[in-house]
Amino acid sequence: MFELIGVTKRYGSHVALVPLDLTIADGETVAIVGPSGSGKTTLLHLLAGVVQPDRGVLAIAGRNARSIPHGRELSRLAGLMHQQYDLVPTLSVLHNVLAGRLGEWGFFKALFSLAFPQERQQAFEALERVGIGAKLYERTSRLSGGEQQRVALARLLLQNPRAILADEPVSSVDPARAEDIVRLLVQVAGEGQHTLVASLHSVPLALAHFQRVIGLRLGELAFDLPAHAVQQHHLADLYVLDQQTMPLVGEAVGH
Amino acid sequence: MATSAGNEGRFGAGAPLRQRDLPALAHGRGALTVLLCAAVLLSLLRVPWGDDLVRPGGVAMVGQVLGGMLKPDLAPEVLGKAAAAAWQTIAYAVTGMTVALAMALPLGALASGTLVRNPVLRRVTMVLARGSLGLLRAIHELVWAWLFVAALGLSPVAAIAALAIPYAGILGRIYADLLNDVPPQPVTALQTTGAGLAITFLYARIPLALPDMISYTFYRFECGLRSAAILSFVGLGGLGFQIQIALDDLLFGRVATYLLVLVALILAVDTWSSQVRRRLTQ
Repeated sequence: MFELIGVTKRYGSHVALVPLDLTIADGETVAIVGPSGSGKTTLLHLLAGVVQPDRGVLAIAGRNARSIPHGRELSRLAGLMHQQYDLVPTLSVLHNVLAGRLGEWGFFKALFSLAFPQERQQAFEALERVGIGAKLYERTSRLSGGEQQRVALARLLLQNPRAILADEPVSSVDPARAEDIVRLLVQVAGEGQHTLVASLHSVPLALAHFQRVIGLRLGELAFDLPAHAVQQHHLADLYVLDQQTMPLVGEAVGH
Repeated sequence: MATSAGNEGRFGAGAPLRQRDLPALAHGRGALTVLLCAAVLLSLLRVPWGDDLVRPGGVAMVGQVLGGMLKPDLAPEVLGKAAAAAWQTIAYAVTGMTVALAMALPLGALASGTLVRNPVLRRVTMVLARGSLGLLRAIHELVWAWLFVAALGLSPVAAIAALAIPYAGILGRIYADLLNDVPPQPVTALQTTGAGLAITFLYARIPLALPDMISYTFYRFECGLRSAAILSFVGLGGLGFQIQIALDDLLFGRVATYLLVLVALILAVDTWSSQVRRRLTQ
């Protein structure tokens, strides 16, 4: 699904990713762990095609990421889910879910749908799959954080990309809900045969629910192992305190 | 300067501020403030505080006006006139605002620059739209009223056009800013689902900006009511016209009645708008 060869990315003088080689197969579920600022978000944004590498080659579904036009074509390959859900709070849940179809709809269908929602059945089914079918007509701002994250997932289900990329999907919900959301994410990815790549603060969640775990540290691959093969010393090395370069690492270890 | 100080604080917690981090400009600003305050106080010395500050009989006149204010004329005939005038003022304000909205929405959308992808074209449409919005609101509604009365005579169309034009300029400008300043994440999220600019505008920008747009439009409607009352001073009918006639006849009790009706109208719109706002922000 994804192939990175010597990919680097920097923002100004800040090096987000040093040359990185990585292959992710179709249908894999991969968790990315690592301290804050280790390049997790950058990597996910690269995989989603929203940023391009400075050097190296990134292939998405066998095509050079640079040659994939933004918009409809890219949206069929990769769908990105953020920690802040990025929903429109003043719209109903229904419209937020249907927003996943906007890449396929023309302008007039989209306009018409605001007054007379189209493809309601599909939206309802997606919401049922994430367990909140009853919220179809509610105003999105009235939903809890966990429910909003489910709406964002339902929107992705309607977008139906080959790969689901989730950036810290559970950092805004309480720990009890976090486990539910991660399980749900892995489950729907499996059902729809989507590739799933998620960055997580919580190592236990990564180890419990994903096939493969990648550790990133300072933009470098620290380890890349099947979840069952990850040892305590891998994690200790990943989160080791380094005052000189990582003044804020304490925050990440706290989780 | 503020950001560099912030960065220092984050990385070197507890490190002493270095000389160059001290805000040197605040010194200059403080001195300027003292200077300006002194100028204001000095200017008071130039006011001719003599007996001729108030014109002869002026004090008595103020007494009369205030006396009238305390005793509003509530005769059925006056109340009937007040009701008719209030209705006319409301009609001018509502119609004027409706026309203003119809002009402000497309102009504001274009002026926000969020509908055009091509940078050159965007620049051009923004400059054109912002320029025309500026032109519309640069001229006060009272001046527009004089112009339209001169051109069209004392017709309601003159009143509505006079109100609609500057209000379109004001509303459009604010709409453009509000549409521009929505949180970027939901907008980008829609773009990554493959939606184009126009659809993103419909599904993210408008709904995100809508509560603020509605609440600002209500506030402007309130101003529009006041303006509609004032517009009628040029002879267009309405509360202002009645106030003018009553003032000419020195009937201060009537003036008080009409003013009270105007205050009641404004308060009613204010109550309505705060109720709508509460529902929107819930």
